Amino acid sequence: MEFKEVIGRRRSIRFFQPYRPVEREKIQIILEAARLASCSVNATFLRAIVVERDKLPRETLDALKTPVSATNLEMAPVHIYFYGDMGTVPRAKGQTLRQLVDVGALSPSHGWSHQFVENMVWPAILQPLYGNPATAGVPVAFDCGVAVCQALLAAFDEGLGACLSAFNIGIAKKVFNVPDDWLAIFALLVGYPAESWEAGGQRPRPPFEELYFEGGYGTPFVRDENVVSKLREARMIQAPAPLPWRWDEIRALARAFGLPE
Amino acid sequence: MTIVGPIENYRTVGVWFEDYGKQWAGRAEDLSSRLDILRRFCEFVGKDPDAIIQECLRSSEGQTKISIRGRRFYDEKIREFQGGVEGDARLKVHWGNTIRSFLIHNGIFLQSGVQLG
Repeated sequence: MEFKEVIGRRRSIRFFQPYRPVEREKIQIILEAARLASCSVNATFLRAIVVERDKLPRETLDALKTPVSATNLEMAPVHIYFYGDMGTVPRAKGQTLRQLVDVGALSPSHGWSHQFVENMVWPAILQPLYGNPATAGVPVAFDCGVAVCQALLAAFDEGLGACLSAFNIGIAKKVFNVPDDWLAIFALLVGYPAESWEAGGQRPRPPFEELYFEGGYGTPFVRDENVVSKLREARMIQAPAPLPWRWDEIRALARAFGLPE
Repeated sequence: MTIVGPIENYRTVGVWFEDYGKQWAGRAEDLSSRLDILRRFCEFVGKDPDAIIQECLRSSEGQTKISIRGRRFYDEKIREFQGGVEGDARLKVHWGNTIRSFLIHNGIFLQSGVQLG
């Protein structure tokens, strides 16, 4: 699938074929996509615990549910529990940044040197920022979000459906033996969609000009309709929800899976 | 507490009908055929419809919130009620989901999980 279409087809899929397993290869591809994501100071914060739903004891699966995620966790055959490892930078002590200098990703052309990393960046910036959980949480969570997004898009590129979901972090910590300094992010629920791939159409979004500005806040970045047309052709922009048959689809799915209306 | 008068006169039954009708616009089914199921559930728990919803709510700092304890109680009661229905799995699910629908359209977030007959 072309990149733009992958973005266009992504939806939060909430109806999975609960009986259809996901190929291990596809799960690996999802994780490989996450590993290559952009990350500040080259610190790969994201950690994942992959769980096959059917390998969980029933009581554990039930305990992992939150009120809003119960049905999703039950339907998706694969759960990928994502965490941010808050200890990544403190443990590396600047090493991940030095690696970037070593491989020429950061170079003197842009002012970077080993001396700068050793004597300035690590002690004056990284150590205080990432050594304190109160300040580290935001950058760690942001980077994890970037990586999880790549994982999410990779799932759709593989013909799967996926949805980010909350989970009971206390239970997960115990059951999956999660280290104390891992920050719970979200679970990516993965499976083959039971709903159509359109899943009712592209979700409502605020108008473009309300979100993005040019030169400063208050001056909208003007949307070029020719570009919009090109993106429609490329299937990045698709028919908006609700498609006319969406409610019939939900009713059919609800009845097939014994869900309330 | 017993049901006094027609069950459809209870405020929360009206909310159920109205919200369900709005949500399933043009595709809403006639819920009046399900009132008997709700009535039986009310008898099962010994509460009227308004009292059931009230027990799933709590007030905190001037805001109405869902009572975790209340919701959990009724979630279990629905499963119990559903399990006691005489009939096949499909019928049991239908009865249980009718009560869930009543709660959901009264703003009590609830999920049944997959119930493959």
